[in-house]
Amino acid sequence: MASFLGHSAALVAALAVLPQLVGEFWAYTLALYFLYAIASLGIGLCWGQAGFLPLGQAMFFGLAAYLSGLSLIHFKDSWLLLLLLPGAALAPGLLAYGIGLLVFRGRTLSGPFFAMITLALTLLAFQIANSWNDVTGGFNGLKNIPGLPGLSDFTDLYYISAVALAVCLLAIAWLRRAPAGVLWRAVAQNEQRVRFCGFAVQNVKAAVFGLSGVLAGIGGALYAPQQNLVTPQLCGFILSADLVIWAAVGGRATLYGPVVGAVLIGILTADLRDEISYWEVILAAIFIVVVLYFRQGLMGFVEPLFERLSRRRAPRALDSPARPQASGDTGFALDDVRVRMGSVSILEGLDLAIDGPGIYCLIGPNGAGKTSCFNAMTGELPVRSGHIRIFGSTRTGNAADLLSRIGVGRKFQAPSLFPDLTVAENFNIGLWGGRARLRDLLGMRSHGWTSAILREAQARFPFLAEEDRRAGDLSHGQRQILELAMVLIAEPRLILLDEPSAGLSQTETQEVIEAIRWVSGRLNASTVIVEHDMTFVRELADRIFVLHQGRLLASGTVAEIQADNRVRAVYVGASA
Amino acid sequence: MDPILTTNILNVVYEVSTLAVVVLGLAVVFGLLGVMNLAHGEFVMIGAYCAFFVQTQNLPFLAAVPVALLVCIVLGLAVERILVRPLYARPFDTLLATWGLSMLLREGVEAVYGRGFKSVAVPLTDSIDVLGADYPSYRLLLAAVSIALVAGLVWWFVRSATGRRIRAVVNNPELAGSVGIPVTALARNTFVFGCCLAALSGVLLAPLMPVQPMLGLDFILKSFFVLVVGGLGSLVGLISGSGVIGGVESIVSAFFDRTYGYTTVLIIAILFLWLRPNGLFPRT
Amino acid sequence: MSAPLFSFAGVTGGYGATTVVRAVDGEVAAGEACCVLGRNGVGKTTLMRLLTGHLPLQSGAVTFGGRPMDGLAPDERHGLGLIYCPQDRPVFDNLSVRENLTLMASADADRYAPLLAAFPILEDRMAQSAGTLSGGERKILSFVRGAAETGRLLLLDEPSEGVQQENVERMAAFLHEAKAAGRALLIVEQNLAFALEIADRVIVMDHGEVVLAGNAADMTEATLAAHMHV
Repeated sequence: MASFLGHSAALVAALAVLPQLVGEFWAYTLALYFLYAIASLGIGLCWGQAGFLPLGQAMFFGLAAYLSGLSLIHFKDSWLLLLLLPGAALAPGLLAYGIGLLVFRGRTLSGPFFAMITLALTLLAFQIANSWNDVTGGFNGLKNIPGLPGLSDFTDLYYISAVALAVCLLAIAWLRRAPAGVLWRAVAQNEQRVRFCGFAVQNVKAAVFGLSGVLAGIGGALYAPQQNLVTPQLCGFILSADLVIWAAVGGRATLYGPVVGAVLIGILTADLRDEISYWEVILAAIFIVVVLYFRQGLMGFVEPLFERLSRRRAPRALDSPARPQASGDTGFALDDVRVRMGSVSILEGLDLAIDGPGIYCLIGPNGAGKTSCFNAMTGELPVRSGHIRIFGSTRTGNAADLLSRIGVGRKFQAPSLFPDLTVAENFNIGLWGGRARLRDLLGMRSHGWTSAILREAQARFPFLAEEDRRAGDLSHGQRQILELAMVLIAEPRLILLDEPSAGLSQTETQEVIEAIRWVSGRLNASTVIVEHDMTFVRELADRIFVLHQGRLLASGTVAEIQADNRVRAVYVGASA
Repeated sequence: MDPILTTNILNVVYEVSTLAVVVLGLAVVFGLLGVMNLAHGEFVMIGAYCAFFVQTQNLPFLAAVPVALLVCIVLGLAVERILVRPLYARPFDTLLATWGLSMLLREGVEAVYGRGFKSVAVPLTDSIDVLGADYPSYRLLLAAVSIALVAGLVWWFVRSATGRRIRAVVNNPELAGSVGIPVTALARNTFVFGCCLAALSGVLLAPLMPVQPMLGLDFILKSFFVLVVGGLGSLVGLISGSGVIGGVESIVSAFFDRTYGYTTVLIIAILFLWLRPNGLFPRT
Repeated sequence: MSAPLFSFAGVTGGYGATTVVRAVDGEVAAGEACCVLGRNGVGKTTLMRLLTGHLPLQSGAVTFGGRPMDGLAPDERHGLGLIYCPQDRPVFDNLSVRENLTLMASADADRYAPLLAAFPILEDRMAQSAGTLSGGERKILSFVRGAAETGRLLLLDEPSEGVQQENVERMAAFLHEAKAAGRALLIVEQNLAFALEIADRVIVMDHGEVVLAGNAADMTEATLAAHMHV
């Protein structure tokens, strides 16, 4: 908090002194690039934090500029401007949020699809602005837009832009540090894990995109009165591209990167465009070099140093709120479930049911459908026919985030966590899932949450208490255990574990066996484990289910299964 | 038959077939390398400028074909080596790098030729009577050439040893290396081939459109939508995708105007993303 | 004794930063078969992918015919005579059986004649796409493709998986022939009887490491099974 206030004071002081240092002309030029910088900050949020790239951000800038320009022309000097101008800045945010909900809902690779859709939209926006003469003034745009009432000289314009930039920067600085920021970076790294922690990823991404729309909107709404002219180019492809280049070269993942990029490149461009005829070509080449070799951008070299100096982790002093528990039921049932992938049948009428707490092992030869069974239960694979009931209600095809919130936890075969986040942040995503409300995600206190299960996990596995380590730096075995712990601190009632001992050493395997036994008793949960290691199965299983060719072949206690000839035929058949 | 109807049908055939050639280049590269080359449209643009360049040198129109191919082979080899291969395992960065490349090519051409529209003279100026409709013979020829090109390439893809190897790499890249297919060289040649196909389209289309540095954008977006609609699975998908996108756009544009055509296509693409994310003919 | 045809030492690697295989050593001489045994998920296939160049080594060295293999792509290793039949997805599903066999060569009838005579099911399905074959038939197709190639080293990853007993026996016969012709074999197997039938040496893996290695003649099925934890 103290560092945040210090940071704010320094920023405000720097912006206040700047015009005295550079003179009136440059102050005026800076004022324009500050507005672009605000829009570029939105690219930083989407691309540098949440990991998806909008290629058409200018449509929001342009939309706000037109709305603000029209308001100023038609309601000059009216008090209505007090409503209309903020409205002009917010409208693009709503539009972006809507587009985000629409596009991210289709659970596809958001990378190229999202980028191309936004690119197409910005071209469309340009065409509309260019051809809707009655409203937009067509190719010539809106001319003679009045300035903001009461502000006239260049220095006033500078201060308006500077204040807007400072407010946006401080808000973003806060959000980046808040749990929301951690969540965004988690989304960029591993959407699947975020969903399995109980967050609806498409809503998170739409919200970030909406926020970026507001930032572009603020820039655009102030642009109209400052430049007194709004043309279709403001919605167009070239400004969209520039905003991305500025963020990339300045440093998309850093706080100040987009601002540095916009101001530096913007002013260089204004200065050099006429002197060096190949300037734009050089700029494109610089962008390619940044993509290839310097992904952090300019500020990527500077900011991490300061962040490391100023970052102090909040102590875990606050017990997290309890998760809402609907019922004590821990059972589930698969009833004649069929799943196909292309022409291959994966589950062929699988019936499987458990009705109370305990440890259950799912075994079977390769391709028997064990992992697919989990995938069908958690909505990762479409179920063609049959029913899945979890805790007594029908849950066929329900999304993973919903299932996580009602108390289903899943660990994947290869450790699925957030490699670039710290151990502490990995835990926090697990703790916040299903517990944190919006205000917990925006405030700083939830960084300090803890829980009894977390404390016990850290006592069992001491490396989990080294919370400042990057999760990606842990060994494979440690990552397996960290993911297991993340699943467990969500306190699920149904725990699905896919080969929890894969790639673990003998000692680690033994520790994991004990941890599973402990937690499954502690949470009074149903634990279902897919496992190949028979030592593991013999030690843990209350009951074994044998899958073969997408169906249930046998079920029973360890002894019963060992005595079952059908099972032996399936397993040893190949080696007999 | 009503001449207006005939003209409209021919327009749709023209749109769809020329679009299919451009998409084919993009799709083969995407299928084999997993690289969405956002600069694909700029190769079309370069092809068009080659036609313009040849015209300024008072050479016959067809001389633009070898010029464009030469330029794109050199450029394609360099791009594959510098941008595509090092980013093989980073598809998102490839997307960005090729997007950067598209700007580079656009700005480069703009620095040489300026932003203004250039026009390339139509090599065949007469028109032909088709079922009562008077249709420009160059457009008709171009549609025929495009159909022949797509058909020929499909035939080659299905029949030739190289075509089989490309399909093998697409299906199972790991096994392909193990049976001795030189995967790296094949990927490089395919990339260059895709660029050449785009450039060839650019040359042939140049007389029928205003030649300007931004013209590639339109092609890359439409091509991308074709892949969204058709799916990445097969040639059937590609052709039906071209049919939907090219057909809808030319029909809507004919009855209303281009903005509506464009909007309709965009809405179709978003609906597909939403309701049928793997397209009409998904990859299995 | 001269240097073995194929040897690897300290082979360590996995996927990304994850290490699956740790410090595995082994060698095969010409005319010899080495079997890698172990239950599911202990890193046998990962070892094969490290040896064939599909995955980069984190450390260790692979030598074939006296030549270090580092930095060579799979197709370059194939060119030197290292033939690999993978476990998972062993054939090109979208190509016909005939196309699978003739992908890299003209329809060379002589080369395939004895193999196709031994596995007549393939002959019947030449025009069918390989994706429509059963799992076992795909394995046979992959085996035929590999066995007919002339490379000096054959790496087979679970060739008998899902294959009927009589065809497994035919495979064994061909592998004995290949040994007699001076080829070296490195075979991953779960089928103990099949493995012991062919193997001169055995490597047993567990948790990514070698837990037992030696001459096949000195091992019984029981010792092996005990080390495999099955």
